[in-house]
Amino acid sequence: MAGIEFQKQERQNKHQVGPFRQENIYLPHPAIIREIITENETVSTFVLEFEDALYRQEFTYKPGQFLMVSIPHQGEAPISISSASALTTTFALTVRKAGKLTGAMHGLSMGDVVGIRGPYGRPFPMGDLEGKNLVFVAGGIGMAPLHSALFSCLEHRQKYGAITVLYGSRNPDEICFSEEMKSFEQDENVKCLLTVDEAGDNWQGHVGLVTELLDMISIDPGTSKALVCGPGIMIRFVIARLESLGMQAPDIITTLERHMKCGVGICGHCHFDEKLICSDGPVFTRDELTNLENI
Amino acid sequence: MTGRYLLAKDHLVPLLRKIAKSNRLVAPVLNEYGDTLFSHITDLDSAAIDLAHQPQNSLKSFFFPQTEKLSTYLVEKSPKTGNVRYNFYPHTVENQPTAYVGVRSCDMFAVMYTDMTFLHNGERDNYYQKRRDNAFFITLACNHPFPNCFCNATRSGPFLELGYDLQLTDLGDRYFVETGRSRGMKIVEQMGQFFKPASEADRREQFQLALEARGLFQRNVHVELASKILQEQDEPVGIISELSSRCQDCAGCAYVCPTCTCFNIADLPLDEESGERIRSWDACTFAGFSKMAGDHNPVQCESQRVRKRFLHKLLHDVAKHGRPSCVGCGRCVDICFGGVDIISFVDRVVKTIDHCRDVD
Repeated sequence: MAGIEFQKQERQNKHQVGPFRQENIYLPHPAIIREIITENETVSTFVLEFEDALYRQEFTYKPGQFLMVSIPHQGEAPISISSASALTTTFALTVRKAGKLTGAMHGLSMGDVVGIRGPYGRPFPMGDLEGKNLVFVAGGIGMAPLHSALFSCLEHRQKYGAITVLYGSRNPDEICFSEEMKSFEQDENVKCLLTVDEAGDNWQGHVGLVTELLDMISIDPGTSKALVCGPGIMIRFVIARLESLGMQAPDIITTLERHMKCGVGICGHCHFDEKLICSDGPVFTRDELTNLENI
Repeated sequence: MTGRYLLAKDHLVPLLRKIAKSNRLVAPVLNEYGDTLFSHITDLDSAAIDLAHQPQNSLKSFFFPQTEKLSTYLVEKSPKTGNVRYNFYPHTVENQPTAYVGVRSCDMFAVMYTDMTFLHNGERDNYYQKRRDNAFFITLACNHPFPNCFCNATRSGPFLELGYDLQLTDLGDRYFVETGRSRGMKIVEQMGQFFKPASEADRREQFQLALEARGLFQRNVHVELASKILQEQDEPVGIISELSSRCQDCAGCAYVCPTCTCFNIADLPLDEESGERIRSWDACTFAGFSKMAGDHNPVQCESQRVRKRFLHKLLHDVAKHGRPSCVGCGRCVDICFGGVDIISFVDRVVKTIDHCRDVD
């Protein structure tokens, strides 16, 4: 059995596996899946915790950061953290079944151990959001990183002005975090508007693009910040609409997605003009992005 | 302090033999097919060290192998719970001091550039670093640039002013030797029998050769002008699209390029329970390079395939590091059968402005 052979060969290297393993930036840390929350047919939220108690204690992250996630035999992919940076030792990844790795991830069960590296990337500028009215605009699985920022803000609700969530999905079945979205209906702390591209039989809400929701609220450009995440084309249109409503470029914040292999600015895969999405981003303000064409 | 010495030509091999006692040697070697390649030398007596031709490969693969194992992994299933564990055991890089001999200025500059990518970008790549820490360089000044060379235009040659441990300049029957970094000085101190102090006349002779070499380039490539045009004008979409359409997606340019270091990381299963995490060279010209989950690709391959390659080297790195990340070695010119090399790109970009001037 080749497995045993390798165990023997490589065990000698095991002394390198300290609690933080910083000397090897490519080495993932084992993390246990504590819970799997089915958001909808294609999206699940995986709640994870590091196996190593020391690492579990030391691990911190900020909204907008991502992890490199290793799934058995599938390699690694960058995935945004969707949980708020609360004082728990667990963290969550909300993943859509889209390709080989994410497909395999959806086949995992509670108690399975995956590999995690990170957190990486520039987070949302949470300090700059304080005292502002916040508009979160999400499309599809783009809700995942915004969810982290939104719930961090809700933990310190008094620090922020009005909070508005605009969330577009393809159809009502594809809405993620639907329980939470529903709870916002009764919540005076958050105004939440949902829209779908195609309504089903039971859908009473808005039908249309998420940009249309922007016309249903009032934004005071001087006191507001917008956080936008979704498919590239959606980000482009939302940014254009926000600008036409008078919002200034530094107040429009988005987070971008790219294929990545290292996550730390070396492998070259996530070059976006002169920037690297992994280390210069993934969070950018509008004024940092000259060209929105290939986002 | 820079010291200046002379090394008789017939002392070079004995010097290398002495160095090889405590170091691995890598030098340009002429093989049986007539190719000159940087190679490990195990037997100095039988190796045909070739300092007259440009090696077809750069030193890239010695610090960043074409494929390398990052770690071994095990996928274990608990018989009790049925749960899967995914554990990694890092691969250790072999650690041996190595002397790189006959390295020309373009390749030395390329090593300094890749240092920035792997070591000075915030995170340190320990696989690269281990090999790099063990390296010292005996470089060879280029008296006679090769037909496709243009290191004068990329400010990376033909003679080095920094980066080397020892720099040799061919003065006919002897080498003029300059000591750069401390390891070079140490060699001269420890192996003093091979070196004698250079005279003022030797120094002048070397200076004269350096001046003459600058005039011997056959190619006139306006790299700085092209970078300036790229900074000041709109993106040359037409040129990028024209060259993209000629690119055959072979990645030869990226593989021979001493500064192209994009890589892929993938799991290679060996059986159901184990495998290796492998890093391998990648190229931004490959159709799948930017492809994300669900086959979404933000790069239009038909028209933008070569965009990242040329703009990264001539525009983005100039903005970031103050110099292009092309070192003018000319290898992509030799290898591309479609003519999609960096000189074609520079020439076309420069022509756009010539054309504008004509119209004026």
